[in-house]
Amino acid sequence: MRTMIERELVAASTEPLILSLLTKGESYGYELIQEVKRLSGDQIQWTDGMLYPVLHRMEEHGWIKSRWVEIENGRKRKYYSIKKGGRQILKEKREQWSLLSSVFSGLWKGQHV
Amino acid sequence: MFNLEQSIAEWRRQMLAAGINNSSVLDELECHLREDVERGMQSGLSGEAAFQAAVKQIGLPVSLKREFAKVAPRKRVLLGILKGILAGSFGASPSLSAFTTSARRTLELARLEAPRLHHDFVGTEHVLLGLLTVENGTIPDILNRMGVNPEEVRKQVEKSISMFSFEGGTAHLPYTPRVNKALRIAAREARACKQACISAEHLFLGLLLEGDGVAARVLKTFGVNVQTTRQEVLSELGRSQGGI
Repeated sequence: MRTMIERELVAASTEPLILSLLTKGESYGYELIQEVKRLSGDQIQWTDGMLYPVLHRMEEHGWIKSRWVEIENGRKRKYYSIKKGGRQILKEKREQWSLLSSVFSGLWKGQHV
Repeated sequence: MFNLEQSIAEWRRQMLAAGINNSSVLDELECHLREDVERGMQSGLSGEAAFQAAVKQIGLPVSLKREFAKVAPRKRVLLGILKGILAGSFGASPSLSAFTTSARRTLELARLEAPRLHHDFVGTEHVLLGLLTVENGTIPDILNRMGVNPEEVRKQVEKSISMFSFEGGTAHLPYTPRVNKALRIAAREARACKQACISAEHLFLGLLLEGDGVAARVLKTFGVNVQTTRQEVLSELGRSQGGI
């Protein structure tokens, strides 16, 4: 049976996921989505188009920046990269998620559900 | 027979119809769609099946529009409203129904020129560019008759414009006070020649008579003066009987 991540959790984790992926280097929407699918074994599913408003909002906040890059035969892609402000936000988010994760680990240690 | 390019163009029109009208956003979504179609076809789907799957996966135009609307920066929206009030864009200038089709189209084009030049307002320079590019416009002819090359005017306008970064929709860009003044002058000129509607030629006169905007300044450097222009406009209007 597949465990899909609930909508609320997907929403809360999208920004930290994008920021974490961008620390590995510049990327574009389609690639980010494929990467998240791959890492989660297809259990985190974004409605693809929904990623873009999030990216644009993050850019508005000054966490990431973008540039159009020409690929082949006149086609272009919009690449995103993380900014200093984004790294700071990621650090904060990471602390929050790590805290939650360790609380759950402590509670669930030795328990079998 | 399935045609991918046509289908993508149609999909883009649907996005536009749903209100996603920022071309950079549409380009980015289209780029995504194409990647997904390509991937689908590589994994053995037909072009049509890959396209259908990609469209489904990218999401409905209405839901995308809703998400993008949430991103619309509040600060800029408020700033836009404030600028609108300062620019007197609420009620002060003639209503759109007072313009001829060609004049309305000119103002629409001016609205498209603004973001292309990274401006968050519609200035006299954008209206002038609109007049120079509007389909079947008479202003290029009028300029030619006065010995002025319209293409040179366009280049000069673009050169006189200071660039600063702005990204956003085109629907709510406010007119600058100078454009509002030019529109009021255009209305006065239309009344003076007993025209029911303000035509593109009146808009041109309005820009010139306003006197201080980028449009007026550029036109003056080309030696375009009010007297000759008014004569040319009158004869043009006489020729087309009622204006464009």
